Amino acid sequence: MDWDVVWESVPLIWKGAGATVSMFAWALVIGTAGALALALMRLSAAKPLQWFAIGFGWLFRGIPLLILLFFAFFALPELGILLSPFLAAILGFSLWTAAYQAEVIRSGIIAVDPGQSEASEALGMTKAHYMRRIIFPQGLRIMVPPFTGNAITLLKQTSLATLVTVPEMALLTQRIFSNNFKFVEPIFVLGMIYLAMTSVLLIVSVAVERAVSLKV
Amino acid sequence: MNALVQVTGLRKSFGDNEVLKGVDFEVERGEVVAIIGPSGSGKTTILRCINLLERPTGGRVEVDGRVVCEELGDGTMRFAERGDVREIREQVGMVFQRFNLFPHMTALDNITEAPKSVRGMSKEDANARARELLDSVGLGHKADAYPLQLSGGQQQRVAIARALAMEPALMLFDEVTSAVDPELAGEILMVMKRLAQQGMTMLVVTHEMSFAADVADRVLFIDHGVIVEQGQARDVLTAPQNPRTRAFLHAVLDRAPMAEDDESTAGAGEEAGFGGSDLFSERVATDPEAGPDDG
Repeated sequence: MDWDVVWESVPLIWKGAGATVSMFAWALVIGTAGALALALMRLSAAKPLQWFAIGFGWLFRGIPLLILLFFAFFALPELGILLSPFLAAILGFSLWTAAYQAEVIRSGIIAVDPGQSEASEALGMTKAHYMRRIIFPQGLRIMVPPFTGNAITLLKQTSLATLVTVPEMALLTQRIFSNNFKFVEPIFVLGMIYLAMTSVLLIVSVAVERAVSLKV
Repeated sequence: MNALVQVTGLRKSFGDNEVLKGVDFEVERGEVVAIIGPSGSGKTTILRCINLLERPTGGRVEVDGRVVCEELGDGTMRFAERGDVREIREQVGMVFQRFNLFPHMTALDNITEAPKSVRGMSKEDANARARELLDSVGLGHKADAYPLQLSGGQQQRVAIARALAMEPALMLFDEVTSAVDPELAGEILMVMKRLAQQGMTMLVVTHEMSFAADVADRVLFIDHGVIVEQGQARDVLTAPQNPRTRAFLHAVLDRAPMAEDDESTAGAGEEAGFGGSDLFSERVATDPEAGPDDG
C-alpha cells in the first residue's frame, strides 16, 4: 500500500463526508419520527392503523433498500415526481429507517412490565401521559442498543446512494478508481472513515445507554 | 348513605375460564374488608374489576355512587366513559403485589407524578405532601432514593404513599406482602393497620390471617369464583361455618399459627426502627373497637 496515495485520497473522499452525514442525519430524524408514529399505530386499538403499520413494515422491510432508491430516483419521475438524487436518497433511506426502527420502538414499549401501565391507570393518568412519562422512558433502555444497530447499518447503507448519483464518499472513491487506477488505498481510506463514523455512533450509544439506565 | 362500594352479581371470564361466578358484597365507608381464599380463587380479579383494570363480563359495580359498570337487560356490559373511569380511579387507590413503582423515578417523584399530572397540583404542594406521606410511612429519609435502592418492604410503603397522595376514598390492597421477605411484611402491615385506624376504607386481598383477624371488620372467603362465607372477621376466622372455609383456614394456619404470627408482625415494625415516626409512635391497638370510625 502506497501511503502517499492514502494521504492524497483522504481529502478527495472526505469531500463526500458532508453528503454521507447529511443523508444519514435526515433519514434518521425523518425515519425515527415515522417509526414512532408507526409503533404507536401498531399498538393502538384501531384496526386500520394497525394494518397500515403492519403493511408498511412488511413492504419496506421486505424490499431491498437499493430497489427503494431506484424507485425513488428512476421510477418516481415517470409518475411525475422529480426528485434530486439527494432527496430521492433521503426518501428511500427514511422509509427504510421508519420500517426498521418502528419494530425497535414497538418491542421496547411492549417489553416494559405491564404493571407499569396498570399502576399508572390505577392512579388515573391518561394513556398519553403515562406513555410519555412512564412507559417510553423505560422502553428507551431496551431500545437503545438495537436502535443504534440500525443507525449504524443506515450510515453504512448511505453508500448505496452512489447508485443514484449522490456525490457521497463511496462515489468519490470510485472516481479515484477511474482517474488514478488506484484501488487498495482509496478503499482503505473509505473503510477507515466509515469505521471512525460508526465508532462515534457506538460511543454516543454507550453514553445514552448509561444516561437512561436505572439507578441501583 | 349508600355503601362506598357496591358489587352485585359480578362475573368475569377470561375466554372460557370463568374466574368470578356472581359475587355480591358491599363495603361501607370506613370499613376494612379482607378477602381471603385459595390462590386462583378470584380474589385479585375482584379488586381489579373495581377500578376496571379488568373489564367484568357480568354484574354491576358502583363506587361512591358512580356506576363503574353494569349489565344491561340484554346481557351486554355498559362501562363508565373513559373520563369517568379516570375520575373513579382517582377515588380508588391501589397497591400491587409487585409494588409497580416507576423504577426510573425517585421515591418522591413516584408519589408526585399523579397529583401533578392528574390533579394539577403545583410541584411545591405535591412535593410537600409527598414528604409528609413518606414521613408517615417511615421513609422520610428515602425521598431521593430510586426504587431499586430500596428493600421490598420500603418499596411497598412508597407504593402505599403513592396511592394515598391522590387522597382516595377507597384503598385496594392486592396481596401486598406476598412479594417481600417475611421479616419485612410487618412494616407494611403496620402502615396498613395505622391507615385502617385513621378511618380509611380498605379492601384487602391477603394471606395474612393474623392481619385479617386483627384489622379487618369483615372477612369474605372466596373459593372458585364465589363468596363461600362472609361475616365479622372474628366469626369467620375463628368459627367458620362452611367446610371449605374450615379446610382453607386449617391448611393456612397449620403452617403459620395465628397467635405467633401476630407477635412477629407487631415486633417487626418496632425493630425496623420507626419508633419515633408518626405511624409507629404508639403501640397499635389490636382492638377493632378502637378504630376511629367505629360507632
